[in-house]
Amino acid sequence: MTEPATDAPYIALKAVQKGFKIGAEAVPIFTALDLTIPRGDFVAIMGPSGSGKSTLLNMLAGIDSPDGGELRIGSARLDRMGEGARSSWRAHSMGIVFQFYNLLPMLTAAENVELPLLLKPLAARDRRARVEKVLDLVGLSGRGGQYPALMSGGEQQRVGIARAIVSDPALLLCDEPTGDLDRKSAGGVLEMLRFLNRKLGKTIVMVTHDPRAASCARRTLHLDKGQFLEERRAA
Amino acid sequence: MSSIFRQVRAMLRANLLGLRRRLAISVSMMLSVALVVCVLAGFLAMAAGFERTLAGTGSASVAVILGGGSNREAGSDIPAEALRGILALGGEIGVVRDTGGQLVASREVIGTTEVAAGDGAHAATLALRGMDLSGPDLRDGVALVAGRMFTPGTRELVVGLGLARQGPGGAIGGKVRLGALDWTVVGQFAAGGSAFESEVWADLDAVRAAFDRQGEVQSLRLRLAGPEAIGTLRAALGTVTATPLVVVSEAELYAGQSGRTADLIRLFGWPLALLMAVGATAGALNTMMSSVADRRVEIATLRALGFSRMAAFLATWIEASLLALIGVGIGIALSWLLFNGWQASTLGANNARMGFQLMVTGEVMAKASLLGLATGLIGGALPAIAATRLPLTAALKAGA
Repeated sequence: MTEPATDAPYIALKAVQKGFKIGAEAVPIFTALDLTIPRGDFVAIMGPSGSGKSTLLNMLAGIDSPDGGELRIGSARLDRMGEGARSSWRAHSMGIVFQFYNLLPMLTAAENVELPLLLKPLAARDRRARVEKVLDLVGLSGRGGQYPALMSGGEQQRVGIARAIVSDPALLLCDEPTGDLDRKSAGGVLEMLRFLNRKLGKTIVMVTHDPRAASCARRTLHLDKGQFLEERRAA
Repeated sequence: MSSIFRQVRAMLRANLLGLRRRLAISVSMMLSVALVVCVLAGFLAMAAGFERTLAGTGSASVAVILGGGSNREAGSDIPAEALRGILALGGEIGVVRDTGGQLVASREVIGTTEVAAGDGAHAATLALRGMDLSGPDLRDGVALVAGRMFTPGTRELVVGLGLARQGPGGAIGGKVRLGALDWTVVGQFAAGGSAFESEVWADLDAVRAAFDRQGEVQSLRLRLAGPEAIGTLRAALGTVTATPLVVVSEAELYAGQSGRTADLIRLFGWPLALLMAVGATAGALNTMMSSVADRRVEIATLRALGFSRMAAFLATWIEASLLALIGVGIGIALSWLLFNGWQASTLGANNARMGFQLMVTGEVMAKASLLGLATGLIGGALPAIAATRLPLTAALKAGA
C-alpha cells in the first residue's frame, strides 16, 4: 500500500494557466494558479459552477493539460507530457472516481474492477485475486458477478471506487463522488474514502458541491474565478 | 500477453457485448456487405461457369482449319479448290488416316436458326451444325445418351443434352421446324457440360440443302496424330494457296471464344460491384460512426483509466471488420445457395444460345470476400480514428 502522510509536496501547481477559446475569443480560467498538496492529504475542492473545479481535476488526472506553468505529481511533470505519456501515467499512478460511476454496463462488477489491471503485466489469476480483495474492501464481497444495472447507486459507486484503487495508485481523484447518491449511500461512500485516506494513506483530491462531503476531507479549498479564496482545515 | 492485446480484447469485448443496443444498424451494415458480395460473386460465378464450359470444350488432338483468314467459324469459308488440296495432301502431315489412307476429317458448316417453343410465344436461337458422319467421332468426350446418330441425306437432328433440357422440341421423335422444313430429333448426346451440348448436329448435305448453302464448307476438322502434330500440319498446309488458312486446335478455338465473353461479363460485374461497395462502405462508415457515438462515454472512461489510443482504434476497427466478415459469410452462403449450379444461357460464338452453369468457385468466393472485407476495413477506419480523438473531458460529462 502507499506511504503514510508527510508534509513533502506530492502535488505541486506553479503559476498554472488554462483557458478555452469560444470562437475567436479566449476565455481564461486560470491565469496563475498555485497549489501544493502533500502526500497522504485529503483535499476537497468546492466552488460555484464555472469556477474551474472540473478543469483542475481534469488537469490533475492528465485528461487535460495546462496551457502554461508547472504541474508536478510525484516525480512526473504532467505539463511536459504528451497524450501517450499521460495515458500511461494515468494507468499506473492514479485512480479516478466519477460522479455517474461510468461503469461499463455490459460487464460485471468484477470485470469493471479488473479493467485497470489489464494495463499491468499481471496473470489472470493474480488479477482475479486483487479484484476479489478490493471488492471485499468496499463491502461487495461475493457481488462481483452482478451487472451494474442490478445494483443500487451506492453499490455502483463502491464498484467505481474499487476500480479506482484496484491497481493501488497513490492518488485518488474524485469528481462529485456523492453527487448522484441519496444521503445514506453518500455517507457510506464518504466513509469509504475516509478509510482509504486514513488507513491506506491514499492522497485524495475530491471535487464536490456537498459541504457534508467536504467535511470528511482534511482540507477544503474554495475555488472561485480561477483562484483559491479560502482554506479550511479539519479539526 | 502484452498490455495492448489485453486492452484491445477488453474494449472489443465491451463493443461486441454492447451490439444489442445498435442491433438494427449493425444488421443493416452486414446485409449491405452481403449484398455486395452476392452481386460480385454472381457475376464472377457467371464468368467462371462460362469459361469452364468453353474451356472444357474441344480437344488439343483435333485441328480445325478455317478459311478466308478468319479465326472464327462464323466468318470462315474454305473454297472447294482449297478443300480438295487439303484432302489430297499426301505423306506425313500429322493427321491420322483411316484404313483406306484417307484423312480422318469432317467438313462442317455452322449456322443459327430460330426454333419456336411449344407455346409459340418464345423463339430460341440454336446453333445448327452440319457435319460429315465422321464429325461426332472427332469430338472427344461426346457420347450418345439416347436414340441414334443422324442418317446421311436425311433431315434428322441429334441434340446436345444441355439444349434438350432447356430448349423446345428436344425430345426424341419430336418434330422441330428449322427454316421452312420440319426436322426429326433422333438422338441426344452428352459432352460433359461443354459447349458442344448447346449445339444441334445434322448431316452436312441436309443442312446445306435446307439453308441454301450448297457447296459451302466453313471448317474442316482433322484428327491429329497428337497435340504436337499441329505444327506438322501447319507446315504441310503451306502448299495450299487458294485462300489464307488458319489452323488452330479445337481447344484453342473455344478457349479464345470463352476469354472474350468472360471478360465482357467481368467488365460489367466489377464496376457494378465496386459501385455497390462504395455504397456499402458509406453504410459501414455510418454504422461505425454511430457505434463510436453510442460508446463515447465507455471509450472515454477506458481512456481516462489509461487505455491507449491505439487500443481504441484497433477495437473499433476490428469490430467493423468482424461485422463485415459476418456480412461476407452471409453473402457467400447466399451466393452458393442461389447461384452455384444455376443453369444459365447466353449468346455464345456464332450468336447462338449456349447453356452453362454458374460456378461459385474458390477463386470467386475469395475475390468477393476480399471486396466485402475491404468495405468493412475502409468504412471502419475513419470511425476508428474518430474513437481515438474523442475529447475525454466532453465525453466524461456525457454521463450526466
